[in-house]
Amino acid sequence: MSSRFVRRAIGAACVGAVVLLAILGPWLIEADPLRQNLRAALRPPFGDDLLGTDHLGRSVLARLAHAARLSVSFGAASAASAALLGTGLGLVAALRGGIVDRVAGALCDATMALPGLLLVLILAAFAPGAFWPLYLGIALALWVEFFRLVRTVARSRLMAPEVEAARLFGFGDLHIVKRHLLPHLLPALGALFAFGFGASVAAVSTLSFIGVGLRPPTPEWGNMMTELLPYYDEAPIQLLAPAGLLFATVLGLQLLAGRDTK
Amino acid sequence: MNAAPALEVEGLCVAAGGRDLVRNACLSLRAGGILVILGESGSGKSLLAHAVMGTLPAELDWRGRIAIGGIDFGALDPKSRRAHWGRAIALLPQEPWASLDPLMRAEDQIAEVHALVGRRTWREARALAGRALGTLGLGSAGGRYPFQLSGGMAQRVAVAVALAGGARLLVADEPTKGLDAECRDEVAELLLSQARAGAALIVITHDIAFARKLGGEMAVMLDAEIVEQGAIAGLLAAPRHAYTKRLLAADPAGWAPAKPVAAANPVVEAANLAVERGGRRLFEGLSVAVCPGEIVAATGCSGCGKTSLGNVLLGLLAPQSGIVRRVSGADAHRFQKLYQDPVSAFASGSPLGVALDDVCRRHGLPLDAPSRILARLRIHPDLLLRRPDQVSGGELQRVALARVLLVDPAFLFADEPTSRLDPIIQQEVMDLLREVVAERRLAMLLVTHDAALAAGMTAKAVRVDARLDAGGTLAAL
Repeated sequence: MSSRFVRRAIGAACVGAVVLLAILGPWLIEADPLRQNLRAALRPPFGDDLLGTDHLGRSVLARLAHAARLSVSFGAASAASAALLGTGLGLVAALRGGIVDRVAGALCDATMALPGLLLVLILAAFAPGAFWPLYLGIALALWVEFFRLVRTVARSRLMAPEVEAARLFGFGDLHIVKRHLLPHLLPALGALFAFGFGASVAAVSTLSFIGVGLRPPTPEWGNMMTELLPYYDEAPIQLLAPAGLLFATVLGLQLLAGRDTK
Repeated sequence: MNAAPALEVEGLCVAAGGRDLVRNACLSLRAGGILVILGESGSGKSLLAHAVMGTLPAELDWRGRIAIGGIDFGALDPKSRRAHWGRAIALLPQEPWASLDPLMRAEDQIAEVHALVGRRTWREARALAGRALGTLGLGSAGGRYPFQLSGGMAQRVAVAVALAGGARLLVADEPTKGLDAECRDEVAELLLSQARAGAALIVITHDIAFARKLGGEMAVMLDAEIVEQGAIAGLLAAPRHAYTKRLLAADPAGWAPAKPVAAANPVVEAANLAVERGGRRLFEGLSVAVCPGEIVAATGCSGCGKTSLGNVLLGLLAPQSGIVRRVSGADAHRFQKLYQDPVSAFASGSPLGVALDDVCRRHGLPLDAPSRILARLRIHPDLLLRRPDQVSGGELQRVALARVLLVDPAFLFADEPTSRLDPIIQQEVMDLLREVVAERRLAMLLVTHDAALAAGMTAKAVRVDARLDAGGTLAAL
């Protein structure tokens, strides 16, 4: 078995487990992630609750599952939006060139001048604790990579004889994108999507951890880590579980998307 | 005199998974001798050379006896030949631009071999490199980088590099690929001078004119076997095997000259064209007209602007001055092009059938429209299920022609459509083109660097490079 296969398998297992937890978890686990029971606070794992309870007596497993649903759907949504926006603009810039290319390139440079998290922080200041500034900010920070990749690859592919031949036959831009550009772009776009997915999952947890993103009591991995941090001594498993899931998600996506180095 | 021959091969077989790729080859070559191996692609001629070099891929089995300069390699591990690379046996690779280091000056590349393979001091190595360049007529080019050398010059540098280690046996794998006629003669002269100096040469080629220039011995390969062997002059004068006869008949030099076609109203004509690429004037004052049912050949050395002329007629490139007139009433898509490398003209990911269907859909043709054309061009329908890189060059060029014919072209620009094909396949494709031009009253501009081929295809030629002399600007360059 090649090391590449092993790597892909580990990556798929990590991502698959988290996605399964996100889809099936909230449905299978009966406990309410928001229901407090102060008399059952900080119960150890393997009792009534598989992973014990937090400082407010809420089921950690139920909270993890709901947080997974939030992170996975959030990561997919923002990476997909960024991919659509960046790919679309990149294709238009490469096909049209001229002023369109210059404007799109300038937008891209302006976005890159701001660190991604700073952009999110600025937007989050408008609506603290809301979901949309996070989504918008992360998608806006991520589209740049898709744009640059697509524009560069498309520009060089458009010079190829196969595109010249297609134009001589009277084919339009849509046909050229479908037959001559997308087949060359899709593998790299897939890898970039997985990296973007991982980056946005990590970003949303990072922001919640420092208290900028989603606010308690919303179950979110970063939130859970912040809340349980003072109790690391009494409830180490409860604190490590969200960190472990975040780690597995990002690592799994990186392993799936990683390029082969020879 | 040394009694041991430079190379002896006896009963050499190369096999992959039970299938013979080279069967029972026997060769013998003395010092100063030349052996030309002729054959179609896939006949095993390159594998034979690799077996001699000891560079066969590990998954291929070989048996037999190979002796180089009296040293027997039959029973030894193929890796044992490594120590002799450069010292006893050297490879002259295809396309010298690609095999020279683009970041090193010519002289340094030669000196490096003298110093590292020949174990001399760098001072001696530089002196030897300078002398080698001098004998090859490149005395002033030692300080140049490969991209500043012409094809023939780069090939000479590659020869100097290959021989710097003192090798007495040189294996040249298609040394004239991609070179025009003048460069080809230059390479032949160079190889001959090496043979006169005592090196034994194995030259793999499918260019008969080149083989004739070299002289010496020749072996013709077909389907893994050497079918005919003998002195080149005798073999070319009286071939015995049917394949050799076909190969010789396919040489454009032997084609019947084409008859002129009656002039008609031109489909496309250009007057007083001047074209520049990258700030360099390629030609000026050039006029050309192509009539229905007529082939016009554009000839000239590589880089003189033949392809640019065709692109100007197609409207893909704007000329600096001059006018291009097209016949009125013809749609833009009826001006078409055939590419030198047909693989690059198809979308690499889709099967060929999809490419034809796309054209049918775009132009509202019935989806069975290709079948008649495919039958006419003798293309098997199963071929259309494969991707462009899964069919041979000759087949793909025919599919490309079928795709062009679908849109009922008025003008076709054929840009060296056969320069990468074997002579026999080249003749098939060219015959087909000639028939199609006559049947469809198609106007065709044929770009080629092969003057014999041009003469066999048409009586009307335009020399693109000669225009500079006519315009009197050659001195200004």
